[in-house]
Amino acid sequence: MKKGFARRTLAAAVAIGVGVSLAACSGSGGSSGGGGAVQSGDYKGPKVTVTFWNGWTGGSQQTILAGLVKQFNASHKNIAVNPVGMQWADISAKMPLAIKAGKGPDLTVAHGDDIATYAAQGLLLKADAAAKDLGYSAADFPSGLYEHGAYQGSQYGIPWSVTPLGLYANKDVLKKAGLSTTIPATEAEYTKALDTLKSKGVQGEWVDGYVFTGTFEFESLLWQYGGDLFNKDVSKATFNSEAGQKALQWMVDHVSKGYSPAKVAQDGDINALIAGKTAFNWNGIWQTSNTALLKDEWTAAPVPQIGTQKAVWSSSTDWAFVNNKGQDKNKTQAAAAFVKWMNEHSKVWAGGGELPADNSVRNDASLVKSYPNLKPFLEEMDYAHFETTSPGIPNAEATITVALNNALLGKQSVKAALDQQAAKADQLLQQNKQQYGG
Amino acid sequence: MAPRIRRSGGPSGRRSGSGRRALTAYLFLAPFLALFLIFVVTPAVWGVWISLHSWNPLLPIHRWLGLQNYIDLFTPGSVTSGDFWQSMGATAIFTVASVPFLVVVPLLIAVLLNQKIRGGSIFRGIFFAPYVLGVAVIGVAWRYLLDPQNGVLNNLLGLIGLPNGTPWTVDVPWAWISLVGITVWWVSGFNMVILLAGLKGINAELYEAASIDGAGAIRKFWSVTLPGLRPVMAFVTTTTILSSANMFGQSYLLTKGAPGTSTRTAIMYIANEGLSQNQMGAASAMSYVLFAILATISIINFRLQGRSE
Repeated sequence: MKKGFARRTLAAAVAIGVGVSLAACSGSGGSSGGGGAVQSGDYKGPKVTVTFWNGWTGGSQQTILAGLVKQFNASHKNIAVNPVGMQWADISAKMPLAIKAGKGPDLTVAHGDDIATYAAQGLLLKADAAAKDLGYSAADFPSGLYEHGAYQGSQYGIPWSVTPLGLYANKDVLKKAGLSTTIPATEAEYTKALDTLKSKGVQGEWVDGYVFTGTFEFESLLWQYGGDLFNKDVSKATFNSEAGQKALQWMVDHVSKGYSPAKVAQDGDINALIAGKTAFNWNGIWQTSNTALLKDEWTAAPVPQIGTQKAVWSSSTDWAFVNNKGQDKNKTQAAAAFVKWMNEHSKVWAGGGELPADNSVRNDASLVKSYPNLKPFLEEMDYAHFETTSPGIPNAEATITVALNNALLGKQSVKAALDQQAAKADQLLQQNKQQYGG
Repeated sequence: MAPRIRRSGGPSGRRSGSGRRALTAYLFLAPFLALFLIFVVTPAVWGVWISLHSWNPLLPIHRWLGLQNYIDLFTPGSVTSGDFWQSMGATAIFTVASVPFLVVVPLLIAVLLNQKIRGGSIFRGIFFAPYVLGVAVIGVAWRYLLDPQNGVLNNLLGLIGLPNGTPWTVDVPWAWISLVGITVWWVSGFNMVILLAGLKGINAELYEAASIDGAGAIRKFWSVTLPGLRPVMAFVTTTTILSSANMFGQSYLLTKGAPGTSTRTAIMYIANEGLSQNQMGAASAMSYVLFAILATISIINFRLQGRSE
């Protein structure tokens, strides 16, 4: 802990030091917010190196990306793309300050709910022209996705992939319980399967109170019951609505009805599925490339319809052009050429456990033929809900997990847990509005 | 004799002589002083300035708030006060629960290792070894070992017929037991080495004299060892209280602050507020409140331990 103390002091000193240097340059660089823009057209300038940060550190994603980049670099003599992989959390932590210091990448990949925050902080360049050059409009993507890359009337994110939740099942466990391996699609079927499993001594679906993946399951259910996370202009939390209470109650009942252990650790749900201790797990499409899971007889299906309508949580990743202090226009232009080429070649990306965002690529019959595991996730795209986009939103989103955790551990009633955290979220949303403007 | 001669050399000679010596001393101190000014004093003063603003380092305008960040911390229902004081409460629980173990356990080990036993240095190495590991390593390793459903510990307990469903990392109070236990395992070795050095410094003749007076092992511990260790103990308790109050990594990795936010410590909340949410102003204000409390505790602690000297 002494080391921890030293590290903390150092971190604080560095952070504050950065604050100092930022304050020093804020006078001149302050107006950079949304000032620049990416031009359309291919890159014909001198040879440049494009640095590109991404969170694709998983085995197959890294390999596929490396293959694509190699192919691109070989066919573009004046552009050398240099992909830098690191954990998503590290990107969020390092990139904003790196950009302000002029040391960020030229191109990055960001999750849908980060785009607005980055744009409001002046970290990104407007990408309207690049999107136009690609011929993209909202109709080219799953409903609601393209708009999520926009902030104050300008497009900042160009959608690349979508990553919905699905229902994973361990077929060995189902067979042992005498169940058919047809995966339940309705509440009645699902409950029946859980009851049968329970009678054979198997807790059929473990629920955890953490972001991965309890929170995603809760949000899917909330939408299924007709609710939403926040109101339209993201000024008020609405996840404590009646729909939210029903959604959370359904998860809490898993424990009281004996479908789930009471105190599941983070990732305990997917680990139990892999270990053959449970039959079902609501988890992201990224698990299709999880090598530990591949050892099991597993299958995936669209998440069952528990509420009054079909709905499922999905995240997305978007290309974003970086507004470094003193950003080289040539590099940005070369990055735009790379993005265009990547989106045209995005089919193979499905092998990394993500769906290409572009409808024409994703819905091409050859894709599902090459990657049959992804079929259930493709079906979900008609009713997928994407993350909320509003500057600073991650802090308000985090309150949802606290409510979930408190309710699942029996610390608070469902209603009290949701109400308390919704009130907290309202305060944070108000703080965000004050800071970033309406 | 030499000083006296120099002193008699008149007022001017005295001044230049001691002046030169002082200058030499300052020169030797200068490198540290420079680092101290740049990395401690400047950020500390700058932090006060930041704490008086709504300070998002990524936005060009930092709105002046005066003391509002501090007032918010003491206003129930504000955006920060509830979370902040809950995290301070969590820090207090951890500190009160961990410090006694972090002082007593190393002390006992040190006393045992101070006997002339075979393989003493091997044991010293074994007890010190965990301290070499980084918090990320111990956090991740123990999360696997203590996982309530899939962890090694609960599996072993189940094998010998004990309850195997204890939520070590998920629910309180077990999460606190895990956090304190891991921390004791992790850093006891460091305190042990310092206390061992202190024990070696106690004059062996005192023990001999005590033996002649007929004192047994326990009496010698209370009457010779503990008084002899007093300055070292004051140092160990103070640094241990401070480092326990600054606990961050264990909670962050092992429990994620759960259940709810029960095990989210003050540093964890401040770091999240300042570095993740970019609310540097509020986070700086919290740091100063934490600093004031820790400084007060440290002063009281030194007064108490130094009193009877």
